[in-house]
Amino acid sequence: MSIIKAAVLMGLLTTGMASGQVVVSSKIDTEGGVLGNIILQMLEANDIPVESRLQLGGTPVVRQALIAGEIDVYPEYTGNAAFFFNRPDDPVWKDAEQAWQTAHDLDLEANQLVWLTPAIANNTWGIALRDDIADEAQVGTLSDFGKWVADGGDVKLAASSEFVNSAAALPSFQSTYGFELTADQMVVLSGGDTAATIQAAATGTSGVNAAMIYGTDGAIPFAGLRVLMDDKQVQPVYQPAPVVRAEVLEEYPQIEEILSPVFQALTLDMLQSLNGRVQVEGVPASDVARAFLADGGFVTK
Amino acid sequence: MRYPDRLGSVLAVPLTAAFLLPFAGLKPNRIASAQAEWLHDMVGWPFAVAIAIIAAAPLLKGKARLPLSAFALATWMVVMGYGASGLLEGAAEYARVSPGAGFWLGLVSLALLLTDTLARANPRPLARVGCLLAAFLIGIMTLRLWGDVSIMQEYVARKSAFWAEARRHVGLATGSFAAAVAIGIPMGVLVQRVAKLRAPVMNTLTAIQTIPSIALFGLLILPLGWIGANVPGARNMGIGGIGMAPAFVALFLYALLPIVTNTVAGLHGIPASVAEAARGMGLNPRQRLLRVDIPLALPVILTGARIVLVQNVGLATVGALIGAGGFGTFVFQGLGQTASDLVLLGALPTVALAFAAQVIFDAIIDCLPGRRT
Repeated sequence: MSIIKAAVLMGLLTTGMASGQVVVSSKIDTEGGVLGNIILQMLEANDIPVESRLQLGGTPVVRQALIAGEIDVYPEYTGNAAFFFNRPDDPVWKDAEQAWQTAHDLDLEANQLVWLTPAIANNTWGIALRDDIADEAQVGTLSDFGKWVADGGDVKLAASSEFVNSAAALPSFQSTYGFELTADQMVVLSGGDTAATIQAAATGTSGVNAAMIYGTDGAIPFAGLRVLMDDKQVQPVYQPAPVVRAEVLEEYPQIEEILSPVFQALTLDMLQSLNGRVQVEGVPASDVARAFLADGGFVTK
Repeated sequence: MRYPDRLGSVLAVPLTAAFLLPFAGLKPNRIASAQAEWLHDMVGWPFAVAIAIIAAAPLLKGKARLPLSAFALATWMVVMGYGASGLLEGAAEYARVSPGAGFWLGLVSLALLLTDTLARANPRPLARVGCLLAAFLIGIMTLRLWGDVSIMQEYVARKSAFWAEARRHVGLATGSFAAAVAIGIPMGVLVQRVAKLRAPVMNTLTAIQTIPSIALFGLLILPLGWIGANVPGARNMGIGGIGMAPAFVALFLYALLPIVTNTVAGLHGIPASVAEAARGMGLNPRQRLLRVDIPLALPVILTGARIVLVQNVGLATVGALIGAGGFGTFVFQGLGQTASDLVLLGALPTVALAFAAQVIFDAIIDCLPGRRT
């Protein structure tokens, strides 16, 4: 009898202890490493007991782990909520404010998860142009790009076949911004990733001067490319925001104020350069996060 | 007069190709594409010729092949280290040097030559483990010169993480292996004795084998998560939907099929006359199993176990996708960053570990009573 009691007591004690620690996690990719370390170090600096489960796995694994309560907080992209709640065709995901609000409301209702302030950076599918060409043609937005290409601008785009063929990507850019790329103006890499397309544009392989990219790809600034702004909001917005379990936020309500200014400082250029330091220079993500937080004055050295 | 033997002549082909292909690649930064560098450009013609002679010497048949091939292999590694330092002089700030196709081809050819020579000498089990240890130490010593090679730069940036992941990898692979042996052999005996159980058990195990590991992890998150949350003390033992537990269970399940199959096959292979004789001697079923059947089936069972051990070392890399850590962490992070050298930092130790596990396991088998004559 007493053994059972002791076991139950021990179980209660250990779960009690576990709930005191905030388990910080992130996705396994480069940006997951950077954002996860930023969250981890900020909580640590503010004396919140943390446990690190950074770079845990792909999106389904981290998401399931959060819902199951195995982890307490990780950064997720607002646009991904479209897939979590199975409504990818809803236009709300194309507006930054609405996308965040919708994700926030749906997740709080369904899973008691709270979406905190998102970063300004938008990590969505897009097109980047070589700096030298963009300067010369004065192209900064996709509207400019459409006009330039329609007027006979000399463009050659490297993209994956998925980007070229899926209705939500290039076809919808073309119809919205009023341009049409001929087969000669594209280099289609079947199954190509953004590393390959960026590489092609940077080195000018086969005359390529534009590339399919994700907004915050770390290689972009190193490759001398410029991300063209999706000014008519063709693509869903993918802003990273910390998603935390409501239960944990109740215990540590200060988490919101701690993380909010840091994420607001994460502009597209900033996140690109942080990712770039990890990906291109090979600096560990924790060091990159530490330097960013110290330089921004978010933690005292 | 000494001539190259058959192995020497065959390996001469890839070894020649090793000198014709780029020895290294110079990249302007970590993820840029490499610019090819040939050995003679890196060290100059006189040294390149000297290296070629050192590398070709062990191709000739003779007693000196063992030390010559070991020396050639060490030289090959050292040249890469020095060559990389030379290439980086005056290169861009974030430039990296990666070993090229020529280097890898030469490394594999010379390593094959060395292991074949060693195997022919047929050393005793302990001597084999000693050779492994020596190779490990020499490898570490030559890697000290690799400070300017990209793989080692990746290692230096994550030194403590590397060894923590190494411990997790070994723990995961050997732990699930031990559990599979402890449960799989009795299960195999049972299934072989009770014909009715054979089809359902074997079919279930085969079905599990066809589930992709990532899917299996996904299936395990919910039940294990529930156990972790609701069974007192389970979470304290590290049981949960993510982390070590699902990876351990998945590897254990994958390991069962080869062990059970081989146990059944081994027991089936015992001639009826032997069983008859044992019965005639008055042994009861328990004695027959432990003293006659298992020892006779052991070689087949151990073959299965050996497959499982190597398979587990390889499969444990996938555990990184569910938070179990291991060398897979570097593989998947590297894939995400398109940093091929980070992928290699995860992949090469896994290969080395699988090889070492095999050598050690074989040595242990040969030490079993009545095995080696």
